[in-house]
Parts: sequence; structure tokens; C-alpha cells
Amino acid sequence: MRAITLFSFSLGLKATRPLAVGLLTMGVLFLTSYKSAYSADIEVGRQKAQLCVACHGAGGNSENPEIPALAGQTAQSLSTALYQFREGNRKNPAMSPFAQNLSNADMNNLAAYFASEKRVVLTHTSSAESQSLGPQLAKQYNCVQCHGPLLLGQQHIPRIAGQQHTYLLAQLKGFKAMTRADMDGNMSSAASVVKDGDLELLADYIAGLNR
Amino acid sequence: MHFQRSLLSFSLLSCLVAMGNFAAQAQKAADPPPAWKQGMSAESETSALHPFSPIFTGTEAKDLQISKLKVPQGFKVEVYSDGVPDARSMVVTENGTVIVSNRLAKNVYAIANNNGKLEVKTILKGMNAPNGIAMIKGTLFVAERDRILRYDNVEKNLDNLPAGKVVVDGIDPTNGPGHFWKFLVAGPDGKLYFNIGSPQNITSPNQMQAAIFRVDPENGQMERVATGVRNSVGMAFHPVTHKLYFTDHGRDWMGDEIPNDELNVLNKEGENFGYPFCHQGDTPDPIYGKFNTCAHSTPPILKLGAHVAPVGMRFYTGKMFPAEYKNSLFMARHGSWNRNTKQGYDVMRVVLDSKGKVVKYEPFLTGFLTDEKADPPMWGRPADVQVMADGSLLVSDDYNGVVYRVSYEGNTKVASK
Repeated sequence: MRAITLFSFSLGLKATRPLAVGLLTMGVLFLTSYKSAYSADIEVGRQKAQLCVACHGAGGNSENPEIPALAGQTAQSLSTALYQFREGNRKNPAMSPFAQNLSNADMNNLAAYFASEKRVVLTHTSSAESQSLGPQLAKQYNCVQCHGPLLLGQQHIPRIAGQQHTYLLAQLKGFKAMTRADMDGNMSSAASVVKDGDLELLADYIAGLNR
Repeated sequence: MHFQRSLLSFSLLSCLVAMGNFAAQAQKAADPPPAWKQGMSAESETSALHPFSPIFTGTEAKDLQISKLKVPQGFKVEVYSDGVPDARSMVVTENGTVIVSNRLAKNVYAIANNNGKLEVKTILKGMNAPNGIAMIKGTLFVAERDRILRYDNVEKNLDNLPAGKVVVDGIDPTNGPGHFWKFLVAGPDGKLYFNIGSPQNITSPNQMQAAIFRVDPENGQMERVATGVRNSVGMAFHPVTHKLYFTDHGRDWMGDEIPNDELNVLNKEGENFGYPFCHQGDTPDPIYGKFNTCAHSTPPILKLGAHVAPVGMRFYTGKMFPAEYKNSLFMARHGSWNRNTKQGYDVMRVVLDSKGKVVKYEPFLTGFLTDEKADPPMWGRPADVQVMADGSLLVSDDYNGVVYRVSYEGNTKVASK
């Protein structure tokens, strides 16, 4: 795969660094401040994203109910999804081939780019029944525990509020059937107790959230 | 007549509807919670604690906050290799190639020395949670969730491993969520020791669950050697007494301080370590405690702290570290998500006396935990340790996909304390 040279750091020493090094560090930090964590590069990601936006929409704001929106998604959930498509944990005839050619750095850059975009398009309108029952179901079935009170996601846990409806429902059904890649079975076990009718209501409610 | 029949039908219908309602209510009351929520108290229902995930795409060595790491005086820590996704258990071949497993990715990796440069290779693909790995005389054994495979002459065939031969299969009893990924270690008897955990947080396990087993790699015959073990994903044989030391993860949702995770010793085959009836040797379970007492199981030799999540551990048999480190037990603590104030995320040293009793339990490698109240609270998570031929200690970090190397710089600087 990749060659790695051993690099070494002295530890346990609390010697003060020369001021010049400090200033240089500050300069470097300033110059690279547009980068997000882990050296991911939003601009490089934006350029690499040209193929992605053909299906996922401009800036990752998908208008297709079957294709997930990527704009404003948590970066780690995006890089995780790309990794899973490349390694075969997740399989999709449209996505898997694209992921094959991406390096880890590509994935981090793409994730940083789409995470930095604002979610703007809302194409789904929830039924009145879903709107009234949804908030309680999201609590009862533990969605809010990990996805957060507003279902905006955190770290590797994706934002699901306002996600495309058909995609969302397909993922939930996949988790329930234990055919969708998962982390430690957390989503599979969460979905396993959701009644089929409630699954439909939840997907309809969550897809219509405009946050 | 007609009227009466209608009335009868109506009564029957009402009755059926009522029964239906009753059945629906009974059904509702019996709905099981998700495996990870099971056993949660009413007070913790609103908990916003959530699991952490490795950064699968990894963190490059240059982006690691390695200057935050602390080791005892005279020791040094450096990056051995990045680019090892979800790096978990490690074994070392005779030539010094480090083979690294993972739990959530699907490949097994090798860090091989290629003319002085370390190179990460993918040696196995498409595996099912291949967390457990062990080496016996040049043969690599890999424990997936559901089976154990063998790869003979692994060093020679590193670049083109033939398909593995099945040692045993059917060791994922439910094929569902639960503590069913494996830790694997080779025993002094030439057999392979591994765990099959509990299916949920706190539940009555069946005969194939919450136990430690061994299997004879020659014929696939399994034997259950310990019971009442909720989830042991760290095991090591003492280099002198040859006894099996193993950790166990305590149950969740009893609070931030109890129960402690455990360090146990197996003194006789078939010994019971308490789960689900008794935790940390002295704390009856709120649900199952009425069915058995703590007097009927073996207590741990050391309480490790609550929710510290001990993972891989090895005895130090190298010659590089000062003499006092000989036969110390190094233990990676992964740190867990279900504690409001976080702890763990370090490598601990357990010092044992000549009789195998614990005399010291102290931090060895710390600094991954940055803020015990933050989310995430850490920038790295140790998952296993392994002693290299030169006596240095490798530490895997599954969060960043990185392996570190801890070495001792001798007495040239300051004498070790």
C-alpha cells in the first residue's frame, strides 16, 4: 500500500520552544485555518466532488428521493460511508464503483467539503399523521439518543433530519433486515424493535424536517 | 333467530376485538429494547451518551497530537505506522512482521519491513469482524465472529495467502447484535482460547454464551473453560505460572461508578465468574442477584474501574525495559462511551508478585484523554499491546488506525524511577 517512514517525537520534555518556532507555528495555523480536522482539504474536496454532484445535486443537496443529500452531513459519517463502499461493507451498484478509486485522503477531503456545504433543498412534505406522531416515535425508538435531539447527527452518526425519504426508508428497512452495514449492530438492534408501520411514519417524519 | 345469530356474532366479534386489544397490550409490554439499551434504568432513559466509531479513513501520523502522550521517565513513544484502519489486535511473526486485526473493517493488515521502510499490506479481505488473531509456530489463526481460520506459513505467503482452513465454525450463536466478536490467544497447551460474550447488556446467557472456550486447532474440538464472563476481549497467559489472565467488561446502566470492569485469573477449568448474577465479585445484580449470590462465583483479582473497557493485554517478556518490568501485565484500556465522566483511553501496567497477586496498578501510556466531559473526550483509543523482539512495546489505536512504539532509552538520560 503506502510506504511509511518511522517518525519520532521526544516526549516528557517540557522545554519551552523558541519564540520563532511559536510564531512560525501560528503562521502555518493561520494559512491552513480553512482546513478542517485531520488535514482534510475542503477546496481539494470541492474539485474532486464534480462526479458526486452529478447525482447528489449541487453542493450535495440532492433533489432525488432515492439519493441521499450530503450537504451539511457530519464529515466522519461521510468518510465512513465512502470507506464502507470501497471495502465492500456496503454495496450499491451506483456508489461502489466510484468508491474503488478513492484514497483515504480523497475520502477525508470529500467528507470535509460536503460537511461544509449548507443543506438548502427540502423536497419532502410529511403527512399530518407523521408530523403529529413523529416526535414521540423518535424518542420512543431511541433515534434522538445518538442522532441528537434535532436529529442533526454527531461524529460518525449521520444527520438524518431532512434526508431524502426513499433513501432513509430503505436504510431503516435494511438495518431491520440486518442487511445494511452497521457499527456493532447498534442501528440493527435499534431498528429491530420498530414496528413496520412506525418505520414508515418515522421515515416520513424525519425526511420532512427542515432544520 | 336471525337477530339472535347477529347478536351472537356481534358478541363474538366484541370478544375477539377485546382479546385483540389485550394481545396488543401484552405485545407492547413485551417489546424488547435494543441490545445496547437493555437493562437501562428509568433515570438514564434520557441519556445522550452515544458510542464512538473509529475514523476508518485514518489519521496521518503528522496530524496526531502525539506530543500530548506521556510515558514514564526514560521511555519514548513514537508512531510506528499509520494507515492501518481500525487497528486492533496484533501478533508478530518471526521476521518481525506485525499482523494487525480489526473489528469493524473487513481486512487483516500486515506491517512489513521492506528494505528498511515499513509498508502496510492488506493480507486478507472480506472478513467478518476479524478481531481475534494468534500465531502458533508460523501459523496465523484468525477468529471472525462466527469461525476460526488457519493460514499456515503466513510469513512466506504474506503477499498471496491461500484460502484459510476452517478450525471451527458456528461460534456466533445468534448471528445478531451482541458481544460476539472474538479475542484469540494461543495457550501453552497449543490450543486457542477465545470468548463468546453475552447477547445483551444484562441477560441470562445460554450454554454457548458469556463464557471462555478453547479449541484444539488439530481437530476443532471445543471445550468451555470459564463461565459467567460477560465480555472478555483481553486474555494472556502468565509466562511463569501459565495461568490464564483475562479481563471482563462490567454491565452498563448501573451508574458511572459501578460495576468495575474485572481482571480475573482462571485457577481451575469450568470456574464461574459471576455474570449475570454478581458483578465485580461483590455486587449482586439488581435483577439477577436474587437468583444466586456472590459467594457462588470467583471474584476478580483486581477491580479495574467502571466503564474503562479493558481490551488487549500482554505480559512483558522483553529485555529492553528495566528489570522491574519483567512479567508486568500491560493492558490497553479503550475507554467507553456509557459513562458521563469519561475514563480509560490509556495503557496501564499491572505489577504482580511471584505468586501472581496484584501489587500495583498504574498508568503507563496516557494523554489520549483530552477532556473527560467533552464529546468526544479523546483523540485516540488504545486497543492492544504487543511486545516486539527488541523488547519495545507496540500499542494499537483503532480510532486513528495507527500503531505506536514505546521504547526505553536506557540510563543515558535520567534513571527510571
